[in-house]
Amino acid sequence: MEKKKKRGFWRWLIASVMLRLILIYLPKTFNLASRPEVSTPLVSLRRLAEGYWLKQSSISPYAGSMYHGSPLLLSLLGPLTVKRIEGQPNHLLCSLVFVIADIISALLIRATGHTLQMAYRQSLNSLDIVDILKSSDLLSSGDIAALVYLWNPFTIAACVGLSTSPVENLVVILALHGACKGLVPLAAFGWVMATHLSLYPAILIIPVILLLGYGPDTPPRKLFLQKGYGKNGDSHSSDNCGQQETNQSKAEVTFSWRPVIHFLFWSSLWSTYVLVLCSISVKPHGSLWEMFQRTYGFILTMEDMSPNIGVLWYFFAEVFDFFRSFFMIVFHLNILFMILPLAIRLKHRPCFLAFIYIAISSMLKSYPSVGDSALYLGLLGLFLDELADMKFSFFLLCGYIGVSLLSPVMHNLWIWRGTGNANFYYATGMAYACLQIILVVESVSAVLNHDRKLRKISVTKPRDGNS
Amino acid sequence: MPKTETETPKMKPRPIVRLGIFLISHSLLVSVVCCTAGVLALLLLPLLAKNTYISENALMPGSASSMISNRDISEANRLASDLNGLNFKPQDSAAVESRRILTKYMSDLGAEVSYHKFHYKPNQFHPLHFFSSPDSTSSVKNLSCSAHGVNTVGIIRAPSGDGKEAIVLVTPYKFGKSGAAETLSLSIAYTVFSLLSRVTWLAKDIIWFVADSQYGEYAPVEAWLRDYHTPVFTGLGTLNADRCVKIDDPYVFEQKSIAQRKISDGFRRAGTMAAALILKVADRNAMLEDTLNIYAEASNGQMPNLDLINIVNYLAVHRQGLRVKVEKVLTLLDSRWLEILGQIFELLGKAARSLNPGWKFGISAADYIEGSATLASSLYYQALGIPTGPHGAFRDFQVDAITLEISPKVSPHNKARHNEFLLRGGRLVEGVIRSINNLLEKFHQSFFLYMLTSPSKFVSVGVYMIAFALLVAPLPLVAASLYADANQLDLGVKNTKSTPTATASDELDITFRSWKWLYAAKEVFLIHVWGAAVSLLPYFICQIPNCSPTSSSVIWVFLSMLSLLILYLIVGSPSTHVYISQSKEKGEWAILKSATISAVFIGLLVMSVVNFAAAEIGALLLVPMCLMAQPLKLDMKAGKLRSFLRIICNVVLGFIAFPPAAFFVVKTIFEGFNSINMGDFWNWMESLWAWNSATYIYIGMVHLPCWVLCLHILLHSC
Repeated sequence: MEKKKKRGFWRWLIASVMLRLILIYLPKTFNLASRPEVSTPLVSLRRLAEGYWLKQSSISPYAGSMYHGSPLLLSLLGPLTVKRIEGQPNHLLCSLVFVIADIISALLIRATGHTLQMAYRQSLNSLDIVDILKSSDLLSSGDIAALVYLWNPFTIAACVGLSTSPVENLVVILALHGACKGLVPLAAFGWVMATHLSLYPAILIIPVILLLGYGPDTPPRKLFLQKGYGKNGDSHSSDNCGQQETNQSKAEVTFSWRPVIHFLFWSSLWSTYVLVLCSISVKPHGSLWEMFQRTYGFILTMEDMSPNIGVLWYFFAEVFDFFRSFFMIVFHLNILFMILPLAIRLKHRPCFLAFIYIAISSMLKSYPSVGDSALYLGLLGLFLDELADMKFSFFLLCGYIGVSLLSPVMHNLWIWRGTGNANFYYATGMAYACLQIILVVESVSAVLNHDRKLRKISVTKPRDGNS
Repeated sequence: MPKTETETPKMKPRPIVRLGIFLISHSLLVSVVCCTAGVLALLLLPLLAKNTYISENALMPGSASSMISNRDISEANRLASDLNGLNFKPQDSAAVESRRILTKYMSDLGAEVSYHKFHYKPNQFHPLHFFSSPDSTSSVKNLSCSAHGVNTVGIIRAPSGDGKEAIVLVTPYKFGKSGAAETLSLSIAYTVFSLLSRVTWLAKDIIWFVADSQYGEYAPVEAWLRDYHTPVFTGLGTLNADRCVKIDDPYVFEQKSIAQRKISDGFRRAGTMAAALILKVADRNAMLEDTLNIYAEASNGQMPNLDLINIVNYLAVHRQGLRVKVEKVLTLLDSRWLEILGQIFELLGKAARSLNPGWKFGISAADYIEGSATLASSLYYQALGIPTGPHGAFRDFQVDAITLEISPKVSPHNKARHNEFLLRGGRLVEGVIRSINNLLEKFHQSFFLYMLTSPSKFVSVGVYMIAFALLVAPLPLVAASLYADANQLDLGVKNTKSTPTATASDELDITFRSWKWLYAAKEVFLIHVWGAAVSLLPYFICQIPNCSPTSSSVIWVFLSMLSLLILYLIVGSPSTHVYISQSKEKGEWAILKSATISAVFIGLLVMSVVNFAAAEIGALLLVPMCLMAQPLKLDMKAGKLRSFLRIICNVVLGFIAFPPAAFFVVKTIFEGFNSINMGDFWNWMESLWAWNSATYIYIGMVHLPCWVLCLHILLHSC
């Protein structure tokens, strides 16, 4: 059974790679690379190629507001954009890099899922309520999450559509994986790189620290305490094993500072390293300051208001100039406002917290693309047990399908046919944002309900056992 | 189980939530009411049509008096007689000669003349063309040198313009083998052209495009527009295009030596096109007066701005006294039920007026029939998504264009009438061009989304959307109510209190209940993939040489059935897959129906944005079927009159909604039983994909899969 499942996973993985290769080799009629849903100013490979060309001709790659990515990515992917193989599609090498990035991400998600599931089972074991997890005998959440990530049309579109978001997703997943496994240098590297590439993952520092401090997701800590007291109350008759468990569960509650200090140390080390590399890379033509201005500044000030699937472009195209900076601050604080309450409420589930942060930031970021949704939808699969009775799941699926079909049609109506206008396209962007809000709200409430259910069971269980 | 937790007081939901729950719980009533209202609203549309009005003030049609003089007409007659003189020569030399004459006349007027060579390639089905944006048309490859034509383009530069905008006048002309009517259209255009070369008020350049229509009227216009809008930066493109024309070069050079003036071989451009008029003259008609037919439908149901039709209609009716017509379904004109309906509406209107004279409600029965026949034709041609003339090519480049087909009441050989006809046609075109010349911006003021019920009456998007919205409104409600039923969700309206039990197996059941739809979704997804495969099949069937339409359609049907069978064998009947025991009798098929209805809803919604008319007709067929579908086995078991009626309805709707069946039924109604041929459906579908119509995708990827799913529900073994 186990073997069969494993073979099934690999078969699906290979099939997804084949599908990507087929799509890469198809003639360029899909034009995914020029779709606003797939390639934003930040992740477009076309812009990266332009930046590389500028750099080759001894001009700053940031000249002319074409390229806004990292200089490291430029020196990594840049040479690949100019290499052409005779008879093969353009940008074949870059596409292959993205396919490999997707596969590695999927494998990391899978490993993370296994770790999470093992840890969760262990903690439930210590609470004596394992039997509610029958579902996980049938489904391994890691496998499912990895397959969801690989087969998500959004992921495929981002991978085939020549956007650099597979690489950005990879480093985010790397950070989470490292934090889950307790590999401090890896987690620090992932976090630093993710922050360097797309800025928004900076808020992941909270879940990563919680992960390193408390370990992977567990039921609420109060339960362990209650359990511990309950056990202590009538544990005279029970055997040694129970005693050990109690100790163990008690030990889990404490926050261990050592890995956190390590993490901070490592991340400062990595960030210095990255900054040094960047300064070397941009030195001949510009300065680090210019890099910050053209990457982070570009993200934060929303300079490019070309349409995308987010909600900010239209707003800032319409708003009066003297209100611009005010609303800019409001919109960005919006993300920051939600960090603390969520962190307090969900501190026992740092991985889930990271998922929520990613979902929120991909909704409110200035240049969202489908690659961002691909990331959080892939992570959604990791919490299979917790989200088992999520509401509105069917509605959400229909909504996602409907919006992703309507959005290109509305764009066509506006740009090509001229019978629609920007409001049509923006409406789909708003619908998409609403769907993401519903997804976040429902998944959080499902997890809280799950916690409540656990508490109920763990309260009733001992009585049943006694009677 | 502690009692305190189960008896927590229920919170009263917000009014909007309660309204939603109320609608969902009464979904049967709501859906019956909405569907009836939707059909009724569609029938009411001719009544709700508004009179057209010129929305853009700058146009000012007919405010200036016409300037066409007899000199222009006599010049045009001279051109016509010169061209007619060539009719006795062999075709090839006649074509070259007529082109030369035309060029000479144009350049004599001071116009810049150029030739445009194009290669004709018949429309071929290419599966990926549907998704590509208009400018990414495939490269020029494998062109046969034999099929090429040469268009003639004359451009008058506006004396008081900046050369950034242009108005296009198109006359299709078969060089060398033209009839009298085509020559007449050429002379009308020449009349206008010769006038416009002299006037001082011109602010936009005038392009007179004589399309070489030996391969149809659409192909040359489309080729020219594509070349016009794709600038060639290197010499490579022109080199490629000229490869085949080398043999013809002698005549080009010869002409150069003769005309010597502004004739150029390169591509000439004027500014962006403000509007385009395609001018055609039909052979004489049986009517008592000169008539003007307007064709406006472009690809995928796009229409030119209503203002353009308004100007033409206004000038033709009020200035030139032409009788303006738009297409209508002639069979509907003497249909009995429509007449009865019209009379009912007339009576209703009279009754309303007797109550309050202010209510201008209701039209006469004859008007109603006329209006609905026109509306039906408008709906049909928009739904097809195939342009009704060369104007369709312009719409793909966001240029508003219509085809004017003038038919004289007498034969063009009558000299006296002939000149008068030229004068009227010339004045009409001159007036329209003068109005467009006044335009400061693109056409944007009036409607783009409308349907005509007569040349001077229209139904705008805001009105005709209601019919569609009413039709599809029940879909989400029914889907939600079925979903809730199948999951036994308590919506707060039912009084049955389920007693919670806390056994472990039940917990598991509850845990998985909210994801039970995954199996239904998988099935719906697979059937849609099958639909996509079926719509790709013609690409391969086309490759079979010497295949008659009948045999092609038989192969198509056979392969589709085979692939469906294979799909079932591979994936297995989904009902065997479900490992959760289905104790509830309504469980599985209800969820499947709910998923199907959701898919139909999404599909229709997307299609209504792409091509409204196709979505409307699709909804008329699909929505009743989806809402009715219920396993026949259940109804058989019940054995009541109501369930018997439902069986009959289901069978009838299931038959009608099958696309080929619907096609043949409509054909039988309109053309009689004798004209039915198996190959017709193939031909019809072939025309759809050849013109890249979105309707083809709709039929293949929304309509057909949903029909199969409905059949699956009907035959479900529950």
